[in-house]
Amino acid sequence: MANIDALRQEVSRVLSEKIVDVVLGFEAGSLPTRNQPVFIHKAKESKRLVDNGFGSNNLAALLAQRPKDEKIGVICRGCESRAIRALTVEQQLNRENLYLIGVPCRGIIDWRALERAVDGEILAVAEDGEDLLVTLKDDEKKLARAEVLHSACRNCRQPDPVGTDVLIGELPAREGLAQRSPDVAAFLGKDADARYAIFSEEAERCIRCYACREACPMCYCTECFVDHITPRWSESMVSKGGTQAWHIIRAFHQTGRCVSCGACERACPMEIKMEYITDRLNEDMQDMYGFEVGANDSDQPPFAAFSLDDRNRFKE
Amino acid sequence: MSYKTTPVNQFPKLVSQWIKKYDVTAPAEAKNGLEYKTIGDPAEMMLNNRVNTTYAPKAFFLPQSEKLFTVEHGRFQAPELKTKPRLLLGVRPCDTRAFWLLDTVFLAKGEEDAYWQRRRADSLVISFGCDTPCASCFCTSVGGEPFGREGSDIQMTQLEDVYVFEAFTEKGSALINKLPEADAATVKKVKALQKTSAAEMPKAFDNTNLRDHLYALFEDDFWKEVAETCLGCGVCTYLCPTCYCFDIVDEVQRGERVRNWDTCMFRVYSQEASGHNPRPNKAARTRQRVMHKYAYWIDSINEFGCTGCGRCVVNCPVNIDIREIVSAAQARSAKMEAAK
Amino acid sequence: MNLYQPMPMRVERVINETSDLTLKSFELTFENKTDQKAFFEKYNPGQFCQFSVFGKGEAPFGIASAAWEGPFVRFTVQNVGSLTQTIHNLQPGDLVGVRGPLGNGFPLDKLKGRNLVIIGGGCAFSTLYALTKHIMYKEHRKDYGQLTIVYGARNSGLCLYKADIESWYDRSDMVIHQAIDVPEEGWDHHVGYVPDVVKKVAPAPKNTSAIVCGPPIMTKFTLPILSELGFPPKEIYTSLEKRMKCGVGKCGRCNIGSKYVCKDGPVFTLAELNDLPQDI
Ligand code: SF4
Ligand code: SF4
Ligand code: SF4
Ligand code: SF4
Ligand code: SF4
Ligand code: FES
Repeated sequence: MANIDALRQEVSRVLSEKIVDVVLGFEAGSLPTRNQPVFIHKAKESKRLVDNGFGSNNLAALLAQRPKDEKIGVICRGCESRAIRALTVEQQLNRENLYLIGVPCRGIIDWRALERAVDGEILAVAEDGEDLLVTLKDDEKKLARAEVLHSACRNCRQPDPVGTDVLIGELPAREGLAQRSPDVAAFLGKDADARYAIFSEEAERCIRCYACREACPMCYCTECFVDHITPRWSESMVSKGGTQAWHIIRAFHQTGRCVSCGACERACPMEIKMEYITDRLNEDMQDMYGFEVGANDSDQPPFAAFSLDDRNRFKE
Repeated sequence: MSYKTTPVNQFPKLVSQWIKKYDVTAPAEAKNGLEYKTIGDPAEMMLNNRVNTTYAPKAFFLPQSEKLFTVEHGRFQAPELKTKPRLLLGVRPCDTRAFWLLDTVFLAKGEEDAYWQRRRADSLVISFGCDTPCASCFCTSVGGEPFGREGSDIQMTQLEDVYVFEAFTEKGSALINKLPEADAATVKKVKALQKTSAAEMPKAFDNTNLRDHLYALFEDDFWKEVAETCLGCGVCTYLCPTCYCFDIVDEVQRGERVRNWDTCMFRVYSQEASGHNPRPNKAARTRQRVMHKYAYWIDSINEFGCTGCGRCVVNCPVNIDIREIVSAAQARSAKMEAAK
Repeated sequence: MNLYQPMPMRVERVINETSDLTLKSFELTFENKTDQKAFFEKYNPGQFCQFSVFGKGEAPFGIASAAWEGPFVRFTVQNVGSLTQTIHNLQPGDLVGVRGPLGNGFPLDKLKGRNLVIIGGGCAFSTLYALTKHIMYKEHRKDYGQLTIVYGARNSGLCLYKADIESWYDRSDMVIHQAIDVPEEGWDHHVGYVPDVVKKVAPAPKNTSAIVCGPPIMTKFTLPILSELGFPPKEIYTSLEKRMKCGVGKCGRCNIGSKYVCKDGPVFTLAELNDLPQDI
């Protein structure tokens, strides 16, 4: 967690020195377990910024719609910085227009899990080291932060921001970061029927609200395949076929592109698990092509790259 | 009408009888908390919950995807809607109020939507009086009440170890007429509870002249500010009990014409074939959502099109809180007025 | 009754309207007598139908024929996309689905006894053609005052209902002004844009109603000219086009403020439009 005063100070500085036109970060939300993304336009508004575990979104997802020439500061955790790198590689963002303010990350709290864990109307939450102090109507509860961390963050391999312009605070020593997602390993440990059962149970709860897509920094197509009308590429309904097609194709389009931030899952009102699929596809990209998303400023994701002298021809 | 009663511990027995005749549908545990489920065993139902279901029960009358016709050789054949009658049990009054609001759309005289009408006629709704509204609830700010009756056939209220039932319709009283009559003291308690619950509920905003305030802001940058971080997803509208927009699609492989929910928050919703989009940005789309609920509904039937259920508040992935939009709109428009 | 149920109709006649083949008219007849009866009991020029070809979907088209011309119903369809391409491929004898008539149509009762200036352009002229045919019918003509028509097309090849409109020049009970955008050999009518022609030839606003249907740009420039000429907003009618699905005020898609174009419209007076939020 960054020192909040230092963070606000830096934001205030870059705004008043006109290094940027606007800064994107989080402010406290309308409920005690939510933050709201916020665009800070004026230096004096920087006091609205917060830095806690309730910033559910990947802020990089909000950059696509900004005016082209805007200089924008972004407060970045690891996944945000990797998304921005990946988007820059895919030529969706102009790095020149960005000023990245890195902050150490302690992982995002799954507010739904927290509310279920305490089972009561939450009035306030305070972070106290490794614990959360939750104030309820007529009770107070203490629980370990790790218990209610979102799975993406529990499995995170690269929590530290990369390629930032400035870092606020100090990066903690990281030990024992899993190199492969344990959720993927658990999934792969099951037989095909069990895997299909998990997939279909998750996918078929989908209500096709597309919050996952809209919350994802890497889903930026102006026309998503599900919105394409002539021809229609998948069933439009919340049927088995429709929801499964959505989940498979969405994941497939993320191959070697998903930054494993879990923003999709946290946006999903049905709490559908999806990251295990994209993480699995990413592992393939690693194994087959040695590719890791957001690892540097140059490598194209293998399935999104096109080269005239590709080794394999499309057609003989 | 009269009040009936049954002890809480006897209720499952009653529900077991109902299950034989009806598809009894009640809140039940789900992966994401609580969802309506057609239950086979009374033990599955969860009444008097701290929170509401995520998915609104409107889907039982307007399913998210629904077959309108099967089509063969260009002939459109409407499906037989033969359903076992449904008994929706334990619905919050904000959600039954939404049925009542949507009835004005789908049961408008001479323009009835046959599908909604049929499902509505084949159902019985038992609402559950809310004595513990949650922090995101604001029914009393939009014309409703924790014990509102609109849209339900029966309302049940829990008084410690008894449930008290009050029927508002004939088919409602037919269901419970064999239950013992509640005594005067019990009825008095129920009425007192109804009063205090409504009175204790804090107001989320002042709704006086809200419609006019919103119209005054129509062209204002206000909408750009409130929509700045909106993702343009379907969460707020798909979960909303009163949103009813739909799309009609031909599914060729299935040989069906279907309708699916749709939402004004999607960019493609208003996109015209010519490429022109009357609501080209999130500001215009957010304005449509908010104004539909708090201004256009008022124009049409003089009721708000929001029941204050709080689903959009709880579930918006970027925590855009419609109560804050409304309050901010009131303040902004008042300021504009003062500046004049 | 099912609001979404298309009636089966059969293509009776296909007419190539324009030299570039982008506009065709289709005359459809009813498969069921009861549908036919119900249709003509309700029909009023200015209304539209949802025309559907299964697999391609449904789209709204204005009705281009007057009731007395029946028992067929005419639609003029411009080929602009996948559904309209499919419609253009229809042959006589083909079965299609139609829902309607939908919408309010022109307020004939209010127009009775008044002079009318009917202004149209492009394929949106279709419903005005229906209106004109209705008024010109011998039993109806006496109900209305003087009739002036202004009809514009990009070039003569794109003029609709050619033979019929040519015959209007010979009639003494109406005045017809046709215009094309740029001069052409052999064209002896107006040359110029519709709003400019209107400025020149529009009748005095006294006891006159104006009805305007055309491409958005034409409508946009014609309305202020009518206002300039002294037509009050409540005597200027126009028909709106919006993306529609249900066509019956249920699916929510076509709203402008609290009004639904499919149900409360598509015909609105300028006065009504001025009162609505500018969400068009
Ligand atoms: S797919 Fe999900 S986890 Fe992957 S980048 Fe997108 S939002 Fe993040
Ligand atoms: S957010 Fe969840 S419910 Fe919505 S489309 Fe994505 S997976 Fe489906
Ligand atoms: S607008 Fe929000 S609070 Fe109001 S009824 Fe809809 S979901 Fe509930
Ligand atoms: S708010 Fe939007 S989605 Fe909801 S009913 Fe209104 S137009 Fe439809
Ligand atoms: S749920 Fe939130 S982010 Fe999604 S469309 Fe509604 S207001 Fe926007
Ligand atoms: S087209 Fe459905 S409401 Fe107008």
